Amino acid sequence: MAPTHPKVKITYCAECGYEPQTLDLARALMLEFGSRISSVELIPWDGGTFDVSVDGTLVHSMTRDGGFPATDAVKRAVRERLGP
Amino acid sequence: MTIDRSRFAQGLTYEGFKEQMTRNRDRFEENEGRVAIAPADLAAFRALPAAIHVAVLAEDWCGDVIANLPVLGRLAKESGKLDVRVFLRDQNDDIMQSYLNQGKYKSIPVFIFFDEAFKELGHWIERPASVTDLRARRRAAVYAAHPEFGAADAPVDQLPEDVRGRLQAEIQKVRDETTPFANGEVVRELRELLTRVAA
Repeated sequence: MAPTHPKVKITYCAECGYEPQTLDLARALMLEFGSRISSVELIPWDGGTFDVSVDGTLVHSMTRDGGFPATDAVKRAVRERLGP
Repeated sequence: MTIDRSRFAQGLTYEGFKEQMTRNRDRFEENEGRVAIAPADLAAFRALPAAIHVAVLAEDWCGDVIANLPVLGRLAKESGKLDVRVFLRDQNDDIMQSYLNQGKYKSIPVFIFFDEAFKELGHWIERPASVTDLRARRRAAVYAAHPEFGAADAPVDQLPEDVRGRLQAEIQKVRDETTPFANGEVVRELRELLTRVAA
């Protein structure tokens, strides 16, 4: 199986001042996975949003799950999509 | 947390808050200019029996602060009855903890009203419920009129970038079109609160 390079998208509420949490999570993923992820996209939005998806699968939603995601849980979701 | 005279004096003046803003000052001042205060509302604030101290919790990144604090600022300036001091939320968590929205959310702005002896008269949080309701209805109508936007509760990161941009523009249009109503509702709620408790 060819190695995959997951795409991560973080949609955050810019009006709520969620930039620090967004940057912390992006930084953690970049340091952990380096070039094994293909991209980390940051999407400024509104309405109290903090959503994280990996290859189109929503792994955390503030609306659905409450609060900010545990960084380790997002790392785990990325790791599950990495090739062997 | 009780705010007394000396703590109140440590807050930023309204102009001082504006001076220290690192973002959104243009939007803040634009909103200031757009606030229309009806003569009857202004007369009601001017007729308050005594000046009222208003402690405000705010941050310059918050959309509801950018929208609603200018309404209070205009009321203070034009009525001469509201003495405003602003406390940055993230540097004044002891105050914030006493005014959590629904007991758990650090929603801002918070306006806390005190009489001359610093007895608390009441407080106001974030935005009027009527504004939240109207914008939710208008937002639902946007999604209903544009199937390409998908479901209102679906993650927006799945939308193509151009569609996401158009959705963002539609949502901004809803905000712009509902701003006069929203400003009017802030004035109405503050007038009702203050004329009730300061009588």
